[in-house]
Amino acid sequence: MDNIYLPKKARIKGIQDETYDTKTFDFEFAETAVRDGFRFLPGQFLEISVLGVGEAPFGLASNPNHPESFRVTIRAVGSVTQALHELKEGDLVGIRGPFGNGFPFDEMKGKNILFVAGGIGLPPLRSLIEPMLDRRSEFKDIQILYGARSPADLVYMGRLKEWENTPEIRFSMSVDVGDPAWTGNVGVVTTLFPKADIITQNAVAFVCGPPIMIRFVILELLGRGFAPENIISTLERYMKCGVGKCGHCAVGHKYICLDGPVFSYKEMMKLSEKVV
Amino acid sequence: MERVVLHKSNLKPWVDRIHRGFHVFVPSRVRGEIFFLPQAGPLESDLLSGIATLPYLPPKDIVFPQSETLFSFTRDAGDIAFSVPERASRKRLILGIRSCDTVGLHWLDHFYLTNFLDFYYHDRRDNLTLVSIACNQPMKNCFCICCEGGPFLDPEKAAFDIQLVDLDEHYLVECNSEKGKRLVDLDRNLFSLPDPAMVEARDQLEEKSRTLFLQEPTSYMSAAIRRITSNSVPPEVWTELGERCFDDGGCTFVCPCCSCFGVGYSSKGETGCHYRFWDSCDYSGFTREVSGHNPRAEKGERFKRRFFHKLSYQYIKRDGRIGCVGCGRCITACPGEVGMPAVVERLRRG
Repeated sequence: MDNIYLPKKARIKGIQDETYDTKTFDFEFAETAVRDGFRFLPGQFLEISVLGVGEAPFGLASNPNHPESFRVTIRAVGSVTQALHELKEGDLVGIRGPFGNGFPFDEMKGKNILFVAGGIGLPPLRSLIEPMLDRRSEFKDIQILYGARSPADLVYMGRLKEWENTPEIRFSMSVDVGDPAWTGNVGVVTTLFPKADIITQNAVAFVCGPPIMIRFVILELLGRGFAPENIISTLERYMKCGVGKCGHCAVGHKYICLDGPVFSYKEMMKLSEKVV
Repeated sequence: MERVVLHKSNLKPWVDRIHRGFHVFVPSRVRGEIFFLPQAGPLESDLLSGIATLPYLPPKDIVFPQSETLFSFTRDAGDIAFSVPERASRKRLILGIRSCDTVGLHWLDHFYLTNFLDFYYHDRRDNLTLVSIACNQPMKNCFCICCEGGPFLDPEKAAFDIQLVDLDEHYLVECNSEKGKRLVDLDRNLFSLPDPAMVEARDQLEEKSRTLFLQEPTSYMSAAIRRITSNSVPPEVWTELGERCFDDGGCTFVCPCCSCFGVGYSSKGETGCHYRFWDSCDYSGFTREVSGHNPRAEKGERFKRRFFHKLSYQYIKRDGRIGCVGCGRCITACPGEVGMPAVVERLRRG
């Protein structure tokens, strides 16, 4: 019988600075059997413990086709994330998971895919973008719109450059406030929509970012004719156990940790509480 | 279901025999208040009679303690070792649990043992035996009759091992499981076979008990369930009810079905642990995020949340039954007089 509350040891393999307050961590499980048995779906999340400080949930940000080493991008905002930022390569953490439902993948084949990401909402979407690029020919158009508060808030700069230059995807980004070096679009991410030639037929949109951004992007998508079931996003709530027992992340009759974090806008509208 | 008869004079010898194999919890008075406690003195016969009495707290802490360690860790030379508390293996038995609390445990069983099995709950529950006592006469706050929580147990709807029915000089002993049958097997000489008049008397007591609930505190459950399920309770009604809530969490801690917990972290030097503790959706901090954003910052929203979980059809489907067993403890605990029946009555009025 598995103990759902007991973490497994994982080692930090690498740390990359993304922005002034955000780092990306590469982990691998310390025990071979755990490492070999670990699989995850795009959009699932982990509970990561900094022992002595606490535990918090984080969306997986790397390609599920390479589960032996997995990646999480973390902004330092509270005690656990601050403590994670102070760790070094080789340090150990506790990890439980993966948990949650994940993004649909196979059902997306043959469709036009639109990603709209805000700030640190890009990392969880990347766990879906990368495996789609692995099987690029099975999907039709793939378009990514990415917005952040400022150029200094953009994550994955190296990868963004590759996306800008590959014919496999259409990529555009925007910042709310530019700086002298910024030559791109300035404005919230929805200001990209009129310029982006968005395909709405046979299309599904994946939206991830801060709640206010999600709200406006959904309005924009609905206005352009996306059906509520074809708008897919993630919900976040204060969460403890990750396995539907502690009760903290319940919204309406759903537990975000069990039934989410991925919901279509159609499902969100059926919850008895307002979520977007 | 096997039925035998125990003369009340044989209760003590039977319980003494049970003590050899079990840690026995019984309703016990401490300075006038009743609690489920390990039996330390003579049985208090009035607490084991057909006239209902209810401990201030349900026995849920026996399977789901107010606070417990989830795991411990030790850091040593760059490595970490995890350890879990020793698995609960002590056989425990609750004698004199009432129908409502038994059904409450049934609710918790469904919640904690399905859809990710809770390791700690499982071990305690697996080692727990329930000898309940049916209520021939409910108390003034009781409304189990509105919640399928009593006054007698339905073998289809609760996982009890034995139900005792008080027939004055005797108990009718109804075995509902192998565990229950084994208790009778401890000493068959203490029991006799029931004569038909006793079985008839038992059925009459159940019928009569169902007529003895006060009109006033009984709940209008179906109307409330319908309104909550269809989300048609006006927000101002939740606000009004929320204003009477003191945010004290009392109702959730005395509720046999409330199961939410928080997780805390403690450490000293190179060792520490993660532990859980009862938490309450009444508290504003229950959903407050690190950014300061709180999706249920308003009392009315939290109030709605609690009753949506307890009564909506969406949750009835998920949890197998409503999250209320009609014990009436929230009526006693609530300083704002918004226990379940008052809320349900207010919702019915729309």
